[in-house]
Amino acid sequence: MLGVGGIAGPLGRASLLVGLVAAVFGLLAAVLGTRRADEKVMRLAPRFAWLTGIASLGAFACMEWAMITRDFSLAYVQKVGSWSTPALYNFTAVWSALEGSILLWLMVLTFLTVGVAFKYRSKLADPMVGWALATMFFVGIFFFVLTLGPANPFAAGPPGVLDGPGPNPLLQNHILVVFHPPILYLGYVGFTVPFAFAIGALVTGRVGEGWLLETRRWALASWGFLTFGIILGSWWSYEVLGWGGVWAWDPVENASFIPWLTGTAYIHSVLVQERRGMLRVWNLSLLVSTFSLTILGTFLTRSGVLNSVHAFSDGQIGPFLLTFFAVIVLASVVLIGWRGDLLRSPGTIDSPVSREGAFLANNVVFSVFAFVVLLGTVFPLVVEALQDRQLVVGEPFFDRLGVPVGLTLLFLMCVAPVLPWRKASGELLSQRLFWPAWGGTLALFASVVLGATGIEPLLTFFLGGFAGGAALRQLVLATRRQGLRGLVGRANGGMVVHIGVILIAVALAASNSFTRSQELTLKLDTPVTWGGHTFELTGFSRLQDDRQTRISARVEVDGTERAPAVTKFLKMGNNIGTPSVLTTLTKDIYVTLEPPVRMDSGTAKIKVFVKPMIVWIWIGGALMAVGTVLAMFPGRRRKPTDPVSAPVPEVAAP
Amino acid sequence: MSTGTTRLMGKVKSWPSWMVMGLVVVVLLTVGATRDNGPLTQSDRIDAISRRVACPTCDGESVYVSRASAAESIRNQIARDVAAGRLTDDEIIANIAASFQARVLLVPRATGFDALVWVLPIAVGVCAVAGLAAAFRRWRLQQGSVPSDDDRALVAGLLTTAHDDEDDEVL
Repeated sequence: MLGVGGIAGPLGRASLLVGLVAAVFGLLAAVLGTRRADEKVMRLAPRFAWLTGIASLGAFACMEWAMITRDFSLAYVQKVGSWSTPALYNFTAVWSALEGSILLWLMVLTFLTVGVAFKYRSKLADPMVGWALATMFFVGIFFFVLTLGPANPFAAGPPGVLDGPGPNPLLQNHILVVFHPPILYLGYVGFTVPFAFAIGALVTGRVGEGWLLETRRWALASWGFLTFGIILGSWWSYEVLGWGGVWAWDPVENASFIPWLTGTAYIHSVLVQERRGMLRVWNLSLLVSTFSLTILGTFLTRSGVLNSVHAFSDGQIGPFLLTFFAVIVLASVVLIGWRGDLLRSPGTIDSPVSREGAFLANNVVFSVFAFVVLLGTVFPLVVEALQDRQLVVGEPFFDRLGVPVGLTLLFLMCVAPVLPWRKASGELLSQRLFWPAWGGTLALFASVVLGATGIEPLLTFFLGGFAGGAALRQLVLATRRQGLRGLVGRANGGMVVHIGVILIAVALAASNSFTRSQELTLKLDTPVTWGGHTFELTGFSRLQDDRQTRISARVEVDGTERAPAVTKFLKMGNNIGTPSVLTTLTKDIYVTLEPPVRMDSGTAKIKVFVKPMIVWIWIGGALMAVGTVLAMFPGRRRKPTDPVSAPVPEVAAP
Repeated sequence: MSTGTTRLMGKVKSWPSWMVMGLVVVVLLTVGATRDNGPLTQSDRIDAISRRVACPTCDGESVYVSRASAAESIRNQIARDVAAGRLTDDEIIANIAASFQARVLLVPRATGFDALVWVLPIAVGVCAVAGLAAAFRRWRLQQGSVPSDDDRALVAGLLTTAHDDEDDEVL
């Protein structure tokens, strides 16, 4: 077995080397073909793109093969492989640490490069496509270099190792390890495509709206994957970590959230550029920020400079990532400066009370939010560097600053969907906002009747009802005119996304404000009542194999048997709790078994969280995904000569 | 919609209705925000304090979140202090901070260099809003001017170039 597995290392390294060479030649073909307008040379670029894709796939397959055959000649397999890891988690162990996760990133990137080359195969003579491909190859070269240098998954390990510890216990405890990282990476890496076209637009000087239209779906798809990846991560955290929460503001979570914020700002403000030809510099800056923040986030969480519950600490990769980040930012700034004259927008925004005014306000709020999260994430690093002392910036800081920002965004979601382009009159707003505002009032009334307290959750429920009303109004109007086709298109798909966001905001406000928890010590066959629920310990079960010892307590919650457990992973030595969650539409009853567990004592200490509305976070996330897909299809086509504004009521002559 | 209905709806949506709605919202917010929800249980108080303290041996997690033994130990200390009922939340946290230094504080202090983490977001927010206001002011001043050749070219281009732009407000 070892003999067969031993070929994975050399083959994997060879694949990466072939991929690197192909990426270099691809870059040369794209640059030279474009500069000389030589279509024959340019046609080589897609072939090299395919080669990079095949090479990275080959390297990934080699890594999987090394994991499956437990090829402990490789340092990476020594680090995350184990004979006792089940097949599924052994498969996902490939992306459970730094080197493998960079390999996954590289594979997604090269596949996207293939996608771009394939989609634009008939437009290769277009210099913008040429430069976009060159940019993709350039980013690809960087990641190939990483995998051949500081993050080499095929580096040989010390001889004589016959078994390893397996992946981090948290990464072999839930099925979502299969889906969350790849989907999140599709989002992260996906933003490379619009970034590449932005660079292409800057280099060619075609900084109008053409490149935006080309990359509209790429950007939306990337944003959708990033969103869905973050939601899945929250779900995973909730199901695995045992503290009953969905978001802890840890650096890795923040590293995905910051580009999501700038990406969200971008997919809104890009509409202003498409419609009005304005905000060109701003949109380019947002796109560059989103892409570079994915690199900065990777640096922060993969270089070891910051710690988090799921950061991979490894000191070698940091300088590479930081240098690449600097190169990306510097090159983009220079290009934007160089094309400054062309980027000047001739138009003006007529009124703050307009669709474009709302988008601008939205952009300001999202950008400030991104700054807050970035500052909170890197501030400990700054303090340590300047003052040589340690500091932690945690959940209370982010909550305190995030809540007002979130409420402001909810308010914008109330108003923006009903605003016409250019200008809105007070009368128009009064007409369009009336029923949505009553929707918010009704939601507030229901909340107060149901016993909700506290200004922040109440404001969230009011604004949530208001914003939900505004989004539903738009959908009703669209479907009344166009039937189900009214749900399709950016504006209406966007409203579905808004409803998802509102559900998440309301559910988060409810669960953060009204969660109740209690530690209970249960004796066998003796029911205990707390918070209107009955808990009865009916027994224990124990599972032992060469990987783990798992003790579950059988607890009847309101007559339904649940089995919270504590698992000791023998090679790691630490206890991992597995909560049991009883989900209903109104609340979750989340039960954890608290160590130490003594089966012979006939008692078990459990912690119970009663968490309202949690399931609506996941429903909201699913709606956001559905809305994103709907937004990617073209909606009703508008003739370019149609007026873009609703008619403004005429004012009677004095 | 018939003219009569439209007229009726216009009346319904007039400013007195908005005033009534505003009043209802203010009353509901006041009632909801000020009513007494009963004292916090000990468990709730322990959770609230635990959320403000970092686990000293973990990587950025709060004592509330972490399952590490050091976090468990601090949770127990908090539970003991809460049960004793002599100290306020801030005093309990100050005692823990004295034992472990400021590294266990999840909320940075608002003094000295640490205050920057509070001041900078506010400063950036104020600057961003001021910048936005300045931009709108500049645009308003520009609106009085005669359209430039660029403006005319842009309009002409848009009128002749058909693309699948969507009308976002379908009315």
